[in-house]
Amino acid sequence: MRLPQDIEARLRAAAPHGVEFSSAVTPLGVTTAWCGLADTDDLLPVAQAMLATGARLSMISASLLPTPPEEEEEEEEPEGEEGAAEKAPKPVPMTFGGTPIDGTSYEIDYHFDLEGDTLTVIAYVPHGGGVVSLTPIFRTADWAEREMMENYAIAIREHPDPRRLFIDPAIDSAVLERLIPFSTLVNAASTKSLWDKVMAGKGGAS
Amino acid sequence: MTPANTFTIPVGPLHVALEEPMYFRIDVQGETVNSVEINAGHVHRGVEYLTTKRSIYQDVVLTERICSLCSNSHPETFVMAIEEIAEIEPPDRSRYLRVIAAEVKRIASHLFNVGILAHLTGYETLFMHVMQVREIVQDIKEAVFGNRMDLGAMCIGGVRYDLDDEITAFLNASLDKLAPEIDTLIKTYRTNGSILRRTKGVGVLSHDEAIACGVVGPVARASGIDYDVRVKAPYAAYDRLTVPVPTLTGGDVWSRAMIRLEEARIAIQLIRDCLRDLPGGLTHIHDRPDIPAGRAVTKCEAPRGELIYYVKTNGAPEPERVKWRVPSFMNWDSLRFMFHGAKIADIAIIVNSIDPCVSCTER
Repeated sequence: MRLPQDIEARLRAAAPHGVEFSSAVTPLGVTTAWCGLADTDDLLPVAQAMLATGARLSMISASLLPTPPEEEEEEEEPEGEEGAAEKAPKPVPMTFGGTPIDGTSYEIDYHFDLEGDTLTVIAYVPHGGGVVSLTPIFRTADWAEREMMENYAIAIREHPDPRRLFIDPAIDSAVLERLIPFSTLVNAASTKSLWDKVMAGKGGAS
Repeated sequence: MTPANTFTIPVGPLHVALEEPMYFRIDVQGETVNSVEINAGHVHRGVEYLTTKRSIYQDVVLTERICSLCSNSHPETFVMAIEEIAEIEPPDRSRYLRVIAAEVKRIASHLFNVGILAHLTGYETLFMHVMQVREIVQDIKEAVFGNRMDLGAMCIGGVRYDLDDEITAFLNASLDKLAPEIDTLIKTYRTNGSILRRTKGVGVLSHDEAIACGVVGPVARASGIDYDVRVKAPYAAYDRLTVPVPTLTGGDVWSRAMIRLEEARIAIQLIRDCLRDLPGGLTHIHDRPDIPAGRAVTKCEAPRGELIYYVKTNGAPEPERVKWRVPSFMNWDSLRFMFHGAKIADIAIIVNSIDPCVSCTER
């Protein structure tokens, strides 16, 4: 059974705070659906609704939600009071559920697979926040959540085995945020000489 | 004095059937395994982070270097995600050429795994024979793609190689040589006493356990889970090909090996079907468009099972986030069940039977 026809209704029933739902079908008939959550409290009931459809939790992606790019200011500043008004602080943009998009919040994507179709449940977590662990109902969340905990300052509540996965316990958590990794220090740079040589010789692979 | 009858033995991180490091702490009672702890992280390289520091076009090259045996599947799934975001339609011919590249890699990967199985059972003659058969596939890679490991076949909007008459004839002749060899290997693995004694009923993963662990690929299919991305979520030209999905219910080391051998045989047929149906036209689109903001989840059937990519772009040359989950990431967990009640001597054989990929897992 692929994603059921009434999946949106099921998700809305499970998430009383509201969801942002969209879906699309590829030309080859594969459905990809997205379901943003207004409130992370709805994560567990939504996951349970997915479990009831027979879905498999395939992957979890966490990332820092970047600040949207600033609109370029006009070069000629208007004079007088208008200019002062322009400098008033802009309101911080929010997700539809009210999580600030100020460069400190996280986006956690839970990718569910149901017979080839994909549904991604998106939870937005403000800085210092957390989500409940899905490992008790989806065994496959175990490693993904542990990896998330050591890379980001995201608290995973009620994880049955919250030990380190890849990074040594001696290193503080949220290592990607607190320490300066070598790759950040060098801005993950590498020489471009090989790439340039390839492009010069080929005129491009596109 | 009562002697202690339980021990904790460290296995790894080096040379547990593989060249890659993974550490197991195994609690044993006598010669029987009670439980296992898996300790990962020895080759964590931060490749996901690196992808956000390269341009999307450079990431096609970078993702191919995450892993060796499934190297082709990474750029394939990555470019599928970018094509979905940018609404690029790769030409028909490239769809078939993508299948050919993927299936050639599948044969080479599966033969490597069953070859190592022979090595671990101490059957060195068979090991060398399998590796010799695999050499036919390595020669195909070298002749068709110019490389024996990373094919460099994928690009955004198509593929970077083409087949002319001469190379098609070579490919066909190589497949004609390979097919009877694989049939012989299947017969050997099905009947040889040395193989059967070490693999039948060893490292069993039941159907329910397989579902709980979310295992994918041959590990899942050997436990009776009929799931193959090529059929469930078709991509490239798989919607136009007949892809048989072999399954077994034994869930043991032997079943997993037999699934791989059978899939190698099927892969030959798929390549032949592609060569028969190969349409003319372009192999790739001839411009390099800017990639707009968007997000996509794509998946493909790598040799070890479902490989899934999540890509988020924001209109910049670099992607905002690239995340992937390799099949091995799921399959490690199943070792806890496979090891339960196993003998110490079978540890390496069981580890090898999930065809683990450490550099893929840790990125």
